[in-house]
Amino acid sequence: MAAKKLTRFEKARIIGARALQLSMGAVPQVDISKLGSIDPIDIAMLELKKNKMPLDVKRRTV
Amino acid sequence: MDIEKVEKVVKKKRTKFPEKLIYEIADAAERHDLNDKELDELVKEIKKANQRAGVENGEAVGTVAAQSVGEPGTQMTMRTFHYAGVAELNVTLGLPRLIEIVDARKKISTPTMGIYFDEEYSADEEFVRKIANRIGKIILNDILKDFNVNYANMNLSIEIDEDKVNDKRLEYDEIIAKIEKAFKKVEIDKNLLSFEPTITDPKHAIRELRLLADKVRDLQISGVKNIGKVVIRKEGAEWAIHTEGSNLGAVLKMEGVDKTRTSTNDIHEVEKVLGVEAARNAIIHEAQSTMEEQGLTVDVRHIMLVADMMTADGKVKSIGRHGISGEKASVLARASFEETGKHLLRASIRGEVDHLTGIIENIIIGQPIPLGTGSVGVIMKEKK
Repeated sequence: MAAKKLTRFEKARIIGARALQLSMGAVPQVDISKLGSIDPIDIAMLELKKNKMPLDVKRRTV
Repeated sequence: MDIEKVEKVVKKKRTKFPEKLIYEIADAAERHDLNDKELDELVKEIKKANQRAGVENGEAVGTVAAQSVGEPGTQMTMRTFHYAGVAELNVTLGLPRLIEIVDARKKISTPTMGIYFDEEYSADEEFVRKIANRIGKIILNDILKDFNVNYANMNLSIEIDEDKVNDKRLEYDEIIAKIEKAFKKVEIDKNLLSFEPTITDPKHAIRELRLLADKVRDLQISGVKNIGKVVIRKEGAEWAIHTEGSNLGAVLKMEGVDKTRTSTNDIHEVEKVLGVEAARNAIIHEAQSTMEEQGLTVDVRHIMLVADMMTADGKVKSIGRHGISGEKASVLARASFEETGKHLLRASIRGEVDHLTGIIENIIIGQPIPLGTGSVGVIMKEKK
C-alpha cells in the first residue's frame, strides 16, 4: 500500500507510533550499535530509513 | 519547440504536468532556443519546483486560505469604503466588494460590464459607437431640441433634434415607431410632434397633461434592459465599452461582440448565462482583482479554494449562515457557528446522527482531529 512516498504527516505518525513501542521494550529491527543513541525516536527513524519499519500507514479512504 | 517533444521529456522524468505548464515550457524553450540537454535540465528543475509547490494530503489548506485572505482583509478596512471612479463609472471596491463576492449577493451594488469586440470591429470607432448607443439607455429627452407644454390647447409639442439623432447613430424611423407604439394620440409632422393627453375627468386635465409630459420625456428609445450609462474608451489600439448596469445574455447576442473577453462583475449573472464553471472563474477573477487593486497580492490558490467551495454543489452559494456554514452535514459543526440553540433543538427533534467525520465535531468531543498527523492510521505490516 505504501508505494507512494510518505507525506510528512505519515512519517511523523509512523515514527511516533514505533518510538512508543520501542520505549516500552520492543526489539529494534536494525543494528543500533553504530547509531550512538538509544533515543527511541532516533531508532524509529533509522528503522524507517533502512526500510525495516514493521508498521505501515493506513490512509483515510474518504 | 513542439509540444510533443516536451511531453516526451516530461514523461521520461516520470511526472505529470498540467497542460498549461507544458505549453509554457515549449514556449520558453522556443524563445531561448534550448537544446535537448538544456530542455532536460529545465524539466528537471520545474519538476522539483512543482513538487515543492504542491500540498500534501492532510494539510490544513482551508485554515491557511482563511488566514491568507483574512490578513490582507484587515489592511483593506483602513483605506476603504470609498468609491474609485474607473472612467466616470462608479464601481464598488475594497472590502465592501470583497464581502459582496463572498456573500454571493444576488443584487450587487454596482454591476458593470466590459464589452470588447471582435478583431474586425475593434478598431472601428463608428461601429463601436453605434453598438454603444444601442446598449446604453437613451430617452426621448436626450434627442429633443424643443419641448413645449401648451395649456391653452391642452397639448404638448416637441421637436426632435436631427443632429442629436445622427450623433447618437439612431434611426429616425425606429424612433417614430417607438413613439407611435407608446402614445396613441400623437400627430407627426417630420420633426415636429404633438401629443394630446387622454382626459377622463376635466378636473384633472392639467395634471394629466403634466404626467404625459413626463412620460414623453422619459420614453426609452434605445438601450438594453438593466443597462444605464455607457462609456466608450480607447484601450490601446481598440475601442471598448464600459457600462453601468449589466446584462450579459443580451450583450453576448449582439453582432461583433467578442464573446471570449466581454465580461460582467455580476457573478450570479455569469452563472445564469454561462454556467457554474464560468461563475467559479468569475469569483476568482473578481476577488483577485479586488485585492490587487488595493495593492495586496494573495496566492490564487487560496482564492481558488474559496471559489471551489462556493461552487462545488453546482450552484453558487455564499459562505456563512445561508451557504457553506449553514449547510454542513454535522449538527455540532453548524451549532458551533451560529444559532447554536436552534440547530441543537432541531437536530434533537429530528433525531439527527453525527458521524464525527469533521474537524469541529472532534474538537468539541475532545478527540484527535482528522487533519495532518491525525488523518493517518497505523497498522502492522504483514510479514513477508
